[in-house]
Amino acid sequence: MTPPSFRRRAVLGAAAGALVAPLLAGCSDGDGASTAAGGKVTLTFAWWGNDDRAQRTNAAVALFEKRHPNITVRTSFAGYPAYVQKLATQAAGGDLPDVAQLDYRQISQYAGSGTLLDLGPYVKNGTLQTADFDKSLTRTGVYDGKQYALPMGKGTTGIVYDATVFKKAGVATPQPGWTWDDWAEAGKKISALGMKGPNGHTYTGLSDLGVNEDAFETWLRSRGKELYASEHRLGFTTDDLTDFWTFTDRLRRAGVVSQARDTAQIGGAVEDTPMGRGIAATDFNWDAPFLGYPPLLGDQVHFAPVPTTDGKVGQYFKPTMLIGAGAGTQHPKEAAELIDFLLNDAAAGKILGVTRSTPPNEKIAESIGKTLTGPEKEVYDYGRTIAAHGTGAPPMAPPRGDVVLQVSFQRDYQRVSYGMESPRGAAEEYVAEAKRELR
Amino acid sequence: MTTTATPPPRTARATATPPEQRKRGQRGGPAYIFLTPWILGVVLLTLAPMAVSLYLSFTDYNLFDPPKWVGLRNYSDMFTADPRYWRSVGTTLLYVVVAVPLKLAIALGVALLLSNTRKAKGFYRSAFYAPSLLGASMAVALVWRALYNDGGTVDELLSSIGIHTGGWVSDPHLAVFVVALLSAWQFGAPMVIFLAGLQQIPADLYEAAALDGAGRWRRFVSVTLPMLSPVVFFNLVLETIQSFQVFTPAFAISGGNGGPADSTEFYTLYLYERGFTASHMGYASAMAWVLLLAIGAVTLVLFRTSRSWVFYANEGA
Repeated sequence: MTPPSFRRRAVLGAAAGALVAPLLAGCSDGDGASTAAGGKVTLTFAWWGNDDRAQRTNAAVALFEKRHPNITVRTSFAGYPAYVQKLATQAAGGDLPDVAQLDYRQISQYAGSGTLLDLGPYVKNGTLQTADFDKSLTRTGVYDGKQYALPMGKGTTGIVYDATVFKKAGVATPQPGWTWDDWAEAGKKISALGMKGPNGHTYTGLSDLGVNEDAFETWLRSRGKELYASEHRLGFTTDDLTDFWTFTDRLRRAGVVSQARDTAQIGGAVEDTPMGRGIAATDFNWDAPFLGYPPLLGDQVHFAPVPTTDGKVGQYFKPTMLIGAGAGTQHPKEAAELIDFLLNDAAAGKILGVTRSTPPNEKIAESIGKTLTGPEKEVYDYGRTIAAHGTGAPPMAPPRGDVVLQVSFQRDYQRVSYGMESPRGAAEEYVAEAKRELR
Repeated sequence: MTTTATPPPRTARATATPPEQRKRGQRGGPAYIFLTPWILGVVLLTLAPMAVSLYLSFTDYNLFDPPKWVGLRNYSDMFTADPRYWRSVGTTLLYVVVAVPLKLAIALGVALLLSNTRKAKGFYRSAFYAPSLLGASMAVALVWRALYNDGGTVDELLSSIGIHTGGWVSDPHLAVFVVALLSAWQFGAPMVIFLAGLQQIPADLYEAAALDGAGRWRRFVSVTLPMLSPVVFFNLVLETIQSFQVFTPAFAISGGNGGPADSTEFYTLYLYERGFTASHMGYASAMAWVLLLAIGAVTLVLFRTSRSWVFYANEGA
C-alpha cells in the first residue's frame, strides 16, 4: 500500500462520506411543522367540514391573527372521512397539528396514546376559560382525569325534510314524538308520487339509513339499548342489528328509500347524500350539517326530531366536535390562546355562528341566538326544543374501535342494499368484527 | 432467442481474470465506500422494514401503543374469521385472470399491427405507448372514474344506443372491469417488448412457411407464437406480479374505499385499509407477507408450466 494511493482513497472516502452526510442529517431535521423565527410563532390548525364552515373558521382565525400580530396560523380542512384518515396517520407519526378539531370517537384513542396535550394547566392558569360551559359537556373532553380536549359545540341529530314535498304527499309536519313507523309511512306516501330527480333518477321519500351507524344508534336507544355496553362489549345483539337492517332493506325493496347505487355514494359531504343530490325528500343528520341542505335545495328544507319508538326518544346531545392540541406542539401557550379565542371570544362566536352547532359557551350561545336568522335560527331553536322535550342520558364515550366499526357498518350494509348479502348474514359479520375490534 | 440466451464469453472472461487483477479486486475498499449509499438504502429502506414487518405480523400494533405479541392470531383471524379478507382475495384473482390476458392480447395485437407498419412508424409507436407514460397516476384513474361514472361519457354513449347501465363505477358487478380496462389501456410496456421480440423472428421462417402454403393465421400460430413464447412468458410473469399488487387505480376509482359493496376491494387496498385507516399494522403486515408468499408461489407455478409451452430457439429442436 503506497502513501499516494492511501491518500487518494482517503479523499474518495471523504467524498463518499460527504455524499451520505446530508442524507443522515435530513433524518434528524424532520420536526419543522411549527417554527418560530424572529419572535414570530406559526401554528397549524386543522378541521373537517364544508366550505361554509371553512370560510367562517378562516375569518375567525384572521381576527385572531389581527389580535396577536406575532402569531400566524396555517389552516387546513378536509371532508370528514379524509380528515379522520389523515389525522390518524399524523397522530401515529407524532405530528399532530398544533390545534386540531377532534371527533368524540377519537378522544379515547388519541388521549390514551399520549398524542394530545393535557390542557389542564392552561385551564387552571386562566388561558383557557371554561366557566361559561355546561359542566357535563366539558367533561366529554376528559380522559383518565385529564382535560385533553374541549367541546366546540353541542349538537343532536334530526331528520332533514323537504316541507313542500311533504305537503304535496299529504304528510303532516313531523312533531316531537313521531315514530319510526310514521317515518316509514311518510316515505311510502312520497315515493308513491312517482317524482323524478336529476338525470331521471327515481325520487324516493327517504334516504336509506341502513348505512348510518348514528341512525342505528338512535333507533337502538329508542328501543332501550345502547351501541356499547362497555369498552369491550357491544350493547346489542345480532338480532337487533338484523331487525334494523331488515327494516331498512324491506323499505328499499319497496322503493321507499334510496336505491343501492345512490346509497353507496354517501360520503362525508351533504352534496353526496341522496337528499343533497335532489333524489330523496328526507335525510338523517346532525344539526350542524343541516345548514348544508338549504343552500342546495331551498328554504323549504326544515329540521325535525328523530323518530321515536312508541314515544321513547333515542336521540341525545353530544359534543358535535372537540378541539385539542397536539402533544408535540412547540407553542402550547399560543395553541391554548387560539382554542380559547375560538371558544370564548364574543366576536369569534358571532363569526362562527352555529356552524359547529350550538356553541358550548352558554353566554355566547344566548347572545348569538338573538341575532340568528333562517336555517341558523332553526338549528338554535331546534336544540332548545329537543332539550325541552327531554332526551335520554348520553352514552359513554365511544371505545377505541368505534372509528373502524363505523366504516364497517356502512360497508356491511352496502352488500345488503345491493342484494349480495342477507340482513342476518351482514349483521353476523359486523358483530364478529366488532368482537375482534373491541377485545 | 437472444433474450434468454446466456452469453458464454462473459463466464470465459471471468475465469480468465489475471491473478494480479483479482487481488486488487479483493481489497475493494473504495468500492464499498462508493456503494455505501446504495447499501444504506437497501438495508435501511428495504431489508430492515421487511424484518420489522415480519415481526409486526405477529403482534397487535395500532401505531400508538407499543406492539403486543399475539403469536399467530393475525394469521388465524385472516384465514378463518375475516370474510372480507377472502372477498378481497377473490376480487384480486378475478382481476388478475381478466386484466392480464386482456392486456397481453391487446399489447400483442397492436405490436403485430405496428411491426409491419411502413409509414410514420415512430409516431404510431409513441402514440400507443403514451398511455403507459401516464402510468398508474392518480389523475388518469380519476379521469377514468369520471368516464365510467353515472352520467359519465361511457354511460352517455351507451345510453344513446339504448343501453342503460347507470354508470359502471357504481355497479358492484362491473366496477372491477373498469379497473381492468384501465390496466389494459396501458399496454405500452408489454407492447414495446413484443415489438422487440417480433423483430427477432428470422424472416426466412416466414418465407419457408409461405412456400409450404401457410396462410396468415397458420404463420401466426406456427411461427410467430412459438418464436415469441419466451417474450410472452416474460410479459406474463411481469404483468401477473404487477396485477396482484394493483392499488392506485382501484383506490382512485372506488373513491378510496373499495366500493361499491367491496367490489373493488383488492388485496392491497384492503391491506392499506387495515393498516392505515383501521390502524391494525400487525394485521396489515401479516397480509403483506401472505401476499409476498402467494405471488412467489404463483410465479413458481408459471415457471413450472413454462417448460411445456415456452420454446427457446437456441435450445434447438
